[in-house]
Amino acid sequence: MYEVLEDYAQTNNLRETSVELKLFIGLASILLCVSSPGPVAPLLVAASMSAAVLALAKIPARFYAKLLLVPVSFAAMSIVVVLFITGGGTVLLEVPGLPLAITAGGANLALLLLARVFGGMCSLYFIALTTPMTEIFDILRKLRVPAVLIDLAMLTYRFIFILIEEAGQIYRSQVMRLGYGRFRESVRSFGMLAGALFIRTWESGEALVLAMDARCYDGRLGIPGDSRPIPVPALAGGFLYLSAVLGVSLFTGGVVIV
Amino acid sequence: MHIMEGFLPSPWWEIWILISLPFVAIGLYQLNKLVQEKRETLPLLAVAGAFVFVLSSLKIPSFNGSCSHPTGTGLGGILFGPCIAAVLGLIVLVFQAVFLAHGGITTLGANVFSMGIAGPAVAYLIYKAGTRAGANTYATVFIAAALADLVTYVVTSVQLALAFPGTAGFFGAFSAFAAVFAVTQVPLAIIEGAVIMLVFKYIVQLKPEILTRLNLLSESTVQKLREAAA
Repeated sequence: MYEVLEDYAQTNNLRETSVELKLFIGLASILLCVSSPGPVAPLLVAASMSAAVLALAKIPARFYAKLLLVPVSFAAMSIVVVLFITGGGTVLLEVPGLPLAITAGGANLALLLLARVFGGMCSLYFIALTTPMTEIFDILRKLRVPAVLIDLAMLTYRFIFILIEEAGQIYRSQVMRLGYGRFRESVRSFGMLAGALFIRTWESGEALVLAMDARCYDGRLGIPGDSRPIPVPALAGGFLYLSAVLGVSLFTGGVVIV
Repeated sequence: MHIMEGFLPSPWWEIWILISLPFVAIGLYQLNKLVQEKRETLPLLAVAGAFVFVLSSLKIPSFNGSCSHPTGTGLGGILFGPCIAAVLGLIVLVFQAVFLAHGGITTLGANVFSMGIAGPAVAYLIYKAGTRAGANTYATVFIAAALADLVTYVVTSVQLALAFPGTAGFFGAFSAFAAVFAVTQVPLAIIEGAVIMLVFKYIVQLKPEILTRLNLLSESTVQKLREAAA
């Protein structure tokens, strides 16, 4: 999955668009979603971000649909709690035998949260699917984020892909030897996997130190960056879009669904 | 437990970012000093960060057939101390948000606090106390990792209850969130403790110099542990 996300970030149709513009639109949309008082604006953001991902960046719809399902289980658990503990308004549903009830207030808050999470997720995917991580590092450097943090992040990023490969190999060979047959075995196998992975990681880290020293590493990683100018129409379009969302958010703040 | 993007309303996400900021700043300061003293620290920390990312994206075996993810916070805390673990946690959480859609950008502060600061700090303190008291190393690691995992969820429950007190008030909301997470998480915390303990055991048997170099175990303890295993 990770490789695939990054593959699309490198090859999508918006790849050559200015990184600053993409990040700005994505992050501003997230902020608008979080601060919107009603569920309409986040849903609008979700729809327009999905449209941008599918139509402008040309990400396959099947893949995108699968991505959207990832956060569902994570969101569901917390939203259910909010649904039950928030009161106010008429009672819509009572759980027989338990002191639990869904009220209109709770349902509205849960729906608002669901809309915000959905809108935020779509904006996050917009950034993830159109902008390669390496270009985000470049922006961070321009924003004067401490160099040590960026170097650490870049090296971590590089190793994630190597380690996932290794973890997959170990896991497959364990499964082939019935390592996950019973519960006791699976805990043991998983511990073994994590331990072996840690030691291999550490060894490759030491090898990296040697390799970097041999290439005159002096505590700084120099990566050349290029900057692409932001075309004025695109910038104007971005601002127009964001102010439209802001307007919708202000005008539909009082709208409740239930 | 990652709080989703968009889940925490204003002003809570800003507050948690402000709370996490000083820890990350101290961590960065320590990191800068470490890197200047010993250049090889940076790549080694990077692989440790990548390890935590991969570990937390692997599925952990679970009783009921469903799967969940280990947090890996305990290990980071034990190995590097809470402040540097906060920096690693920040990096890992940004990658998880962007690659896996676990967590998010506005909720980053809250997530860094629960998974990068509170969990590792607990693991670190328990490990230090355990080794000073001369307790069994593996038992200490088990308790440290399991409690770090649990504390992460307790802190997340506090964060959610503060943001959504509902009609029940903070304590009512907290017990509701904690109940939901405790049911799912207590068994997982025990499994995570066991897994991290096995990792530790594996390292002691195969490459104990990692642990002695980080001043986690003395040469004599390693010797004793290896003899006990043999």
